[in-house]
Amino acid sequence: MTGGADTKGVIFNIQHYSIHDGPGIRTTVFLKGCPLRCFWCQNPESQTLEPVIFLNTERCTGCGRCVDVCPERAIQIIEGKSQTDRNLCKGTGKCAEVCPNEARSLMGRTVTAREVFDDINQDAIFYHNSGGGITLSGGDPVAQPDFSISILKLCRDAGIHTAIETCGFARWGILQRILTYVDLVLYDFKHMDSAKHEEYAGVPNDIILENAKKIYHELRLPLLARVPVISGYNDSSENLKKTAAFIANDLGTDIKVHLLPYHRLGETKYERMEEPEKAVSIQPPDDSKMEEIKKIFESNGLTVQIGG
Amino acid sequence: MEDRLKNLKKSIEVDRFPLCIEKSRLLTESYKTTEGEPMILRRGKALENVLDNITIFIENDELIVGNAASKPMGLEFDFYAGLWSRDEIEGLKESGYSISADEEAEILEINEYWRGLNPNRRMGQLFDDKVWAFMQSGMLLPPWKSKEEGSGGGYAESGMGLGPGFFLMTVDFEKVLTFGLNKIIKEAEEELKKVKADNSDSQEKTDFLRSVIIAHKAIIRFAHRFADLAEEMAKKESNQTRKKELERIANLCRQVPAKPARTFYEAIQSFWFIFLLTTPSPVASIGRFDQYMYPFYKKDIESGATTDAEVLELLQCLRIKDMQINRTSGTVARQKNAGMAKWHNMTIGGVTPTGKDATNELSYLILDAIKLCPTPHHTVTVRVHEGTPEPLMLKALEVVKIGIGMPAFVGDNSYIGFLLKEGVAPKDARDYAMSGCIDAAIPGKSRIGPYGMFITTKVLEAAMNDGIDPRTGVQLGPKTGAFTSFKSYDDFYNAFKKQLQYFLKLHAAKNNIELQVLAELFPDPVRSSLVDNGIKEGKALLDRTMPFENGAVMNPVGLVNVIDSLAAIKKLVFDEKKVSTEELKAALTANWEGNGYADMRRMFLAAPKYGNNDKEADSIARDVYKLWADTTVQFETRLGGRHKPTGVSISAQWPGGAMTGATPDGRLAGECLADGTVSPMRGMDRRGPTAVINSASKIDQVPYQAALMNMKFHPSALKTTEDLRKLSFLIRTYFSQNGKHIQFNVVNKDTLVDAQQNPERHKDLIVRIAGYSAYFVTLGKPMQNEIIGRTEHEQAA
Repeated sequence: MTGGADTKGVIFNIQHYSIHDGPGIRTTVFLKGCPLRCFWCQNPESQTLEPVIFLNTERCTGCGRCVDVCPERAIQIIEGKSQTDRNLCKGTGKCAEVCPNEARSLMGRTVTAREVFDDINQDAIFYHNSGGGITLSGGDPVAQPDFSISILKLCRDAGIHTAIETCGFARWGILQRILTYVDLVLYDFKHMDSAKHEEYAGVPNDIILENAKKIYHELRLPLLARVPVISGYNDSSENLKKTAAFIANDLGTDIKVHLLPYHRLGETKYERMEEPEKAVSIQPPDDSKMEEIKKIFESNGLTVQIGG
Repeated sequence: MEDRLKNLKKSIEVDRFPLCIEKSRLLTESYKTTEGEPMILRRGKALENVLDNITIFIENDELIVGNAASKPMGLEFDFYAGLWSRDEIEGLKESGYSISADEEAEILEINEYWRGLNPNRRMGQLFDDKVWAFMQSGMLLPPWKSKEEGSGGGYAESGMGLGPGFFLMTVDFEKVLTFGLNKIIKEAEEELKKVKADNSDSQEKTDFLRSVIIAHKAIIRFAHRFADLAEEMAKKESNQTRKKELERIANLCRQVPAKPARTFYEAIQSFWFIFLLTTPSPVASIGRFDQYMYPFYKKDIESGATTDAEVLELLQCLRIKDMQINRTSGTVARQKNAGMAKWHNMTIGGVTPTGKDATNELSYLILDAIKLCPTPHHTVTVRVHEGTPEPLMLKALEVVKIGIGMPAFVGDNSYIGFLLKEGVAPKDARDYAMSGCIDAAIPGKSRIGPYGMFITTKVLEAAMNDGIDPRTGVQLGPKTGAFTSFKSYDDFYNAFKKQLQYFLKLHAAKNNIELQVLAELFPDPVRSSLVDNGIKEGKALLDRTMPFENGAVMNPVGLVNVIDSLAAIKKLVFDEKKVSTEELKAALTANWEGNGYADMRRMFLAAPKYGNNDKEADSIARDVYKLWADTTVQFETRLGGRHKPTGVSISAQWPGGAMTGATPDGRLAGECLADGTVSPMRGMDRRGPTAVINSASKIDQVPYQAALMNMKFHPSALKTTEDLRKLSFLIRTYFSQNGKHIQFNVVNKDTLVDAQQNPERHKDLIVRIAGYSAYFVTLGKPMQNEIIGRTEHEQAA
């Protein structure tokens, strides 16, 4: 049943007392699955729908207990450390259950919307006191639309303020269905040049920009623009000017902009996923650079904040 | 002005703290001449000898005068907690204190005189075998070595009063500031005339009042000595500005504390003299400073006699003065209270006795003073009620951001609720102030005597070992059955209850013995006269019942470890029967090592834990905290009241943990226990601060006199005003649920570096950056380095 409380989905984290993802004290639910493949992604473990194993090699002692329990026989001990054949691994998480050193952990678990809601609802008193609520993030909530809708509906019924954080890359029909239950949209703008967008994130940006306009003009939903600043990729003044102009002119100057400086927290995650070749090394922008960028947006009449 | 504070700040930075003997020399000299006289009179005369003769000085740039020891930043030897041995003095020399060879020889000689007045020996005489075994076990920290030595080592502390120090109380500062000590002397003289020789307590009262008069006259002369000194220094002073300051100081000290304070400056000087006389004490409370100082502030500001800038300067000078009052103790007690711990607590905000918001301009200035002068002492606590202005919360959180752990926040709902439940009149209940760490005191109307640190995990061990202490093999508690004999969780929980009942009874006995001995040996005319009805009552503090009688408390340490252990035992041993009692017992004895016990330990670590809003663990928490409170209040004190449950752990979780073997919560033998009272065990709260608060709110905290909650944040969670507003909501929500207290530790770079090197010590350290939150120790090294870099940057900003 679409949108029912029993709808199942995959999440990889529920973060309580989330204070940088919308107004008030919030709980952020991180859903698995994302239609984009930004190569600077800071949560690469969130990209696929299926759960994924994290391996912290520093902690692995090569005891081999994971080898014995893996139903897919995907694990081997090589030079005293366990290694996972990622083509075989189905993310059952058996290895993480037996690992005595917390070297292996499973990112992602299947839950029902009701279970997520029960967890969210424990903090109801904090939301009401602070004007907070919940934020669905990810991944991207558009990757699991029915599951997202189910959670949002339950929250709506309980009087909890709802927000989603999305890249906006979805068929309008799907996005619109989700947005029926949303009070605030945190919307990402990664690059204004569609070719570049495709190069860096795997998809062009035309649908994304169109959807933004529809949300603002047709649905008239409150929007909050989130602009990641990735040194050397989207931080040229030309691109940032275009981004600011789009938000101010094609949407409206009442939209608040959050500039999110790139941080390196995601960089070691590819090692944990045993795909070190995908790891990037990008220098985070410094404060003076962020101040400059802030001015570009402000000169378009926008209210800007550095950081989420 | 900036230079003054810079210089004053420099004056408190010393390489080695000098140990001083002048005060004990003067006390002893007097004691020798008064042998055979009533103790209260001897004490008054001894204080007189100290105040009339101890070396005094006024330091450069000081505006508030009155030193706490005979040398700058010095600590005076003290004997009320026991004698000083050569070893203990050696120990002090090794840990940053200095003393000359001559003085060391003299103090050892003075020591000999105090042998006859040694409270440990007197207490030892009163211990029966059961209490004595209990005192040696360390269940009540610190363990006693011998009846002569107690836990070993006395105290060396600064402060001009008589002590003993461990009285958690706020004296009636308001009375002194408003009327002056002359008025108190006059009251005592008049009361003395009224004493009828044929009344049963007339002799006691006569001695008491005489002692009060001697002491207060001596305090006035002490202030006059500073006036003389300031005049003398002014004459020699070539700098005209300083000359004027010294002349002003001389005038101050002629006026106060003898006569009523007329200005804010006089009031703060008067306060300081009296505060100095309530020390040596690590727990002397400053009380509701923003309330009793406000009339003076308001009058001066309205008349233009002073400015906020001048007030702010004096408030900073007060912080510096408080840094001059230090304390150290014997090696064992030094562990219990890490560092030079003291809790000179200033309370601000809250409601007035009539229930209106009490916040005023001074409340804000006091917070500004911390920002400008971020010394670790004195500490400040903000009382929060529904009507607390948000700007006060935000200013207080701006101070929290500095990362020095203050101010703390306490909830009026829960504290006033406690006092009302205790039968305190609403106007007094609303006037409560913090004493010690965070215990409720009513200014001038209550006092807490000895303060114990009771290691509850030792009770759990006794319940699992048929009353035997596994550390020593001694049969410490009653035989309540071998662990392997229990068939159900309830059976086991009953055994735990019986053990707790037994040990708390011994704890009560020890408290009453100590109260008796302190009353015999160390009556204090000063503090006794500065409380409600002190003169008319005519008795020393420990010989009377106070309007709110909370003279003895019971304070559990490690109760969260007991709760988590019970939750794990219930689930894995009795409900799911995954592990037998025999297996668990064997695993604990082996400290979870070998034999597949590591896997078993993981099961026990994964069992429900308090602090995650988990129904099972939290319902056990509620039961166990109720059990502690209900058991505590069964026991009467010799002061005419009952024991009160309270909850602060200071740093007792370390030595307490060292004495406890492996526990069923998955903790290893010797590992530190949970800190605070309602804070979860380190690293066991996996669901963030709201879950911790939800769990803590399920414990009925109202019957507790205090319940400490520590929370750690990375500076990125307190970056913008919006972040602070959210934290303010978190605090207010907790207090709306009858939470008592919360304080925030904002981690600094050093902590993170230490966490990188010693991850086991920092399992609970959560960092939140750009919406991403993680346990710091689980992050890869490059990430950790990145965060360390950011932390430094954000705190500098």
